[in-house]
Amino acid sequence: MSATQVAGRIAGIEAGAPIRQSSLWQDAWRRYLRNRGALAAGSVFLLIVVGCVVTPIVSPHDPNRIHFTDAYQGPSWAHPFGTDQFGRDLFTRAALGGRISIGIGFGATLAILLIGVVYGAVSGFVGGKLDNALMRFLDALYGLPYLPFAILALAIVGTVTFWTMVVALSVASWFITARVVRAQIITLKENDYVRAAKAVGVRWYMILGRHLLPNTLGVLVITIFLELPGVILGEAFLSFLGLGINPPDASWGSMAQDGRDAYRAHPHIIVIPSLAIATLVLCANFIADGLRDALDPRTKET
Amino acid sequence: MAAYVIRRVIWTAPVVLLVILMTFTLMKQIEGNPFRKTERAVPAAVQANLERKFNLDKPWYVQYAQYVKGVSTGDLGPSLVLRDRTVNDIVKEQFPRSIELGVLAFGWAVLLGVPAGVLAALKPNSRFDYGSMFFSNVGFALPNFLVATLLIYFVSVKWGLLPTSGWTTWQHKILPSFTLGLVPMAYFARLVRGTMLETLQQDYVRTAKAKGLRWRRVVTVHVLRNSLIPVVTAAAPLLGYIITGSFIVENIFAVPGIGRYYVTAVSARDYSVVMGLTVLLSIIVILANLVVDILYGILDPRTREART
Amino acid sequence: MAPLLAVKDLRTHFFTRAGVVRAVDGVDLAVEKGKTLGIVGESGCGKSVTALSIMRLLPEPPARIVSGSIHFDERELTTLSQRQLEDIRGRQIAMVFQDPMTALNPTLTIGTQLVEVLQRHLGLDKGAARRRAAELLEEVGIPRARERLDDYPHRFSGGMRQRVVIAIAVACEPRLLIADEPTTALDVTVQAQVLDLLDDLQREHRMAMILITHNMGVVAESADDVAVMYAGQIVEQAPAGELFARPEHPYTEALLAALPDLDDPRARGRRLAAIPGRPPDLLDPPQACRFAARCPYAGCADSCPVEPPILRELRPGHWVRSAHPASERQPVPA
Repeated sequence: MSATQVAGRIAGIEAGAPIRQSSLWQDAWRRYLRNRGALAAGSVFLLIVVGCVVTPIVSPHDPNRIHFTDAYQGPSWAHPFGTDQFGRDLFTRAALGGRISIGIGFGATLAILLIGVVYGAVSGFVGGKLDNALMRFLDALYGLPYLPFAILALAIVGTVTFWTMVVALSVASWFITARVVRAQIITLKENDYVRAAKAVGVRWYMILGRHLLPNTLGVLVITIFLELPGVILGEAFLSFLGLGINPPDASWGSMAQDGRDAYRAHPHIIVIPSLAIATLVLCANFIADGLRDALDPRTKET
Repeated sequence: MAAYVIRRVIWTAPVVLLVILMTFTLMKQIEGNPFRKTERAVPAAVQANLERKFNLDKPWYVQYAQYVKGVSTGDLGPSLVLRDRTVNDIVKEQFPRSIELGVLAFGWAVLLGVPAGVLAALKPNSRFDYGSMFFSNVGFALPNFLVATLLIYFVSVKWGLLPTSGWTTWQHKILPSFTLGLVPMAYFARLVRGTMLETLQQDYVRTAKAKGLRWRRVVTVHVLRNSLIPVVTAAAPLLGYIITGSFIVENIFAVPGIGRYYVTAVSARDYSVVMGLTVLLSIIVILANLVVDILYGILDPRTREART
Repeated sequence: MAPLLAVKDLRTHFFTRAGVVRAVDGVDLAVEKGKTLGIVGESGCGKSVTALSIMRLLPEPPARIVSGSIHFDERELTTLSQRQLEDIRGRQIAMVFQDPMTALNPTLTIGTQLVEVLQRHLGLDKGAARRRAAELLEEVGIPRARERLDDYPHRFSGGMRQRVVIAIAVACEPRLLIADEPTTALDVTVQAQVLDLLDDLQREHRMAMILITHNMGVVAESADDVAVMYAGQIVEQAPAGELFARPEHPYTEALLAALPDLDDPRARGRRLAAIPGRPPDLLDPPQACRFAARCPYAGCADSCPVEPPILRELRPGHWVRSAHPASERQPVPA
């Protein structure tokens, strides 16, 4: 037996046959699917999002119709979540509120990503003194409470709309993302294949676009689900304090605020939107964990 | 070491100035004269006087300079709504209560969160581990206004154990500080568990075991010390949460502190107070970061030399 | 004279989610007092797991010593509690690990890390322990020992750190020192120094030593006896000279044949002889001889693919696990 034949025999393949490989993403996806917690969380998350989009379209109730005779009803077949102090169906309102809360959540998260990626990529890629300066600056800004700045930003604009919320929430929360992106870029930069590309004369924007940024995608996806909870809670806090979305539009936070006074007798008005927020945040956390394990399985081994 | 500290301190000053500038710019964007925004109509002559007094007729950079000068001497300016009080008065009165709330919350977090994380790491995959991690996940997700409401409902209203609101006796202080401390608690538990698990895998822990050291010494001297370092650096973002959370907690529990006042000031359009408080809170956070960084340098000898 | 350490049919398995990894599946070793046993084998053959099993340093889930005995100086190590083992580790048996860059705690001075082992086992007070620590550092060749006690590990180069690790290991005069690839992570020039240091210390302190390496040259220099490991099993053990002069197992022969020989004029211009194939997956190792797939002497008609060969003493002191040891092969007719 020749050496090649022996080697082939051991590897279990015919010598010369093509080897089927799966890409990094396929591997990660498969790993993610195997993680039951993350799978459940992802499904619930998707369910909620779809529910929020679909429910108001199919619901028989008008979410803004005030009908005092129906006020303060508990959960029932006609009103799965009950009604609020104005007799409005909470299930439909929750779905509408969800559209706004989740929408703001994703909007602000994407804004954070944008700012963070630009800042982090520039800092990491250019390196040297610029990196130093940018990072010092970031270190000092790190941890600034976003709420006062968000409130200020909202006060400037006067009326609080969807987009002003998005801007307000993202402006003071991008620091962590910037750091993460920079760290990733720096790690990738040190890889030999980047050095090789530079050595052959590939232009910097090609290196950034072809090699560095695509490999940062994984980290970015995880960051989305890490930032989402913070933003959603932030919007909820602002709304709860009365500084959020103006009526009759409602987000989950402002719905909770509605239920604040009556919570003793009718707790469901505050509990339901709060639980919705909690569920979404919990799911996002699990999804982030699942993604992290899927993309870097080494961290899981105990 | 000294060089490291000095470098850090030097970088703080421009950042503080920048934050003040940012706040100032934001404030200036509020269209028109802040005085016109107040509820009470002000006669024209008085308005002109006020404008001169507050330098509103001077160009923006002069105003900015005046303000910075004020801040550096500790003067945050007068209140626009409460004519006879300055921002400093308000701060002096309300701030200590917020500080107390924050410190107590932090205390809860460390007292309950850190040991939970340590024990969970020492017995991984046990029921305690799964249980405490479950609770910490829930702690993160539940909005604190819900927790506050539920706690008030059960502990105060139903069982009558503690008062619902206010900040006078020590019983008053338990629920609000606990509520505020929940998220930091969950954060610490997770963080400590994570760092400990990681440290337990390190080669030097294996060396320590190979030396025949008693397991208790291995844990306390080799594992805990190195695991708790990241916990120190976590204190900075937590401060941000405590400030943010205090807005809600003080609101619900009627604690007369800065958080609650901030919201009142915004609604009342007392922009001077709003700006002053924002600047104050930012400076506190920045200083806290500085302290944490210095502490980190002391605890981990490697960073002192690496960060030049 | 009974050996200091006698390992009989040791089997250490890892119970993982993917299955049971039979990392060590039949290891017999004997180490005499004051002598050096070299263990050689390729990466992944189970050498380190063997060493860690002896010290019981493997995390008990997922690892477990499923069978076998480890007899050290009349005590059976496999049945001792962790607390009892803590008394033996560092004092009777000590270990030097492969990577000096991570073996020391970066936030403690090396003085602290030396003193703590001295205080633990020898009960010295702080002052006496520090004095002894400085002496140890000098012994391993670190200049200005007294001052360097208060330095942190990151102030030492790789070779220096390994010396510190060795100092810690020999601090309490252990009867047996296990060195797991002590020079693999070091520069070639430093490797020789560290090996010499180990030799000197062994003679000074009259220790027995187990030297684990994948480098045949190291073993030839320093070992009295050599054990060859393959896929979790010991396949040959003999005194060093004997092993190199008259290897029996086909794997050992192949290893020796793979060493480049610059002096042999016939070797010039010829390819290096590599061993074709790869070691078996330890999740599902072959039931019979584990080397059969790569062995040039394994035929289809004989027992190799069917029955596992047992370790037998071919000549006094020379053990082999093979159905076709060199001295039993029929010469091929011309």
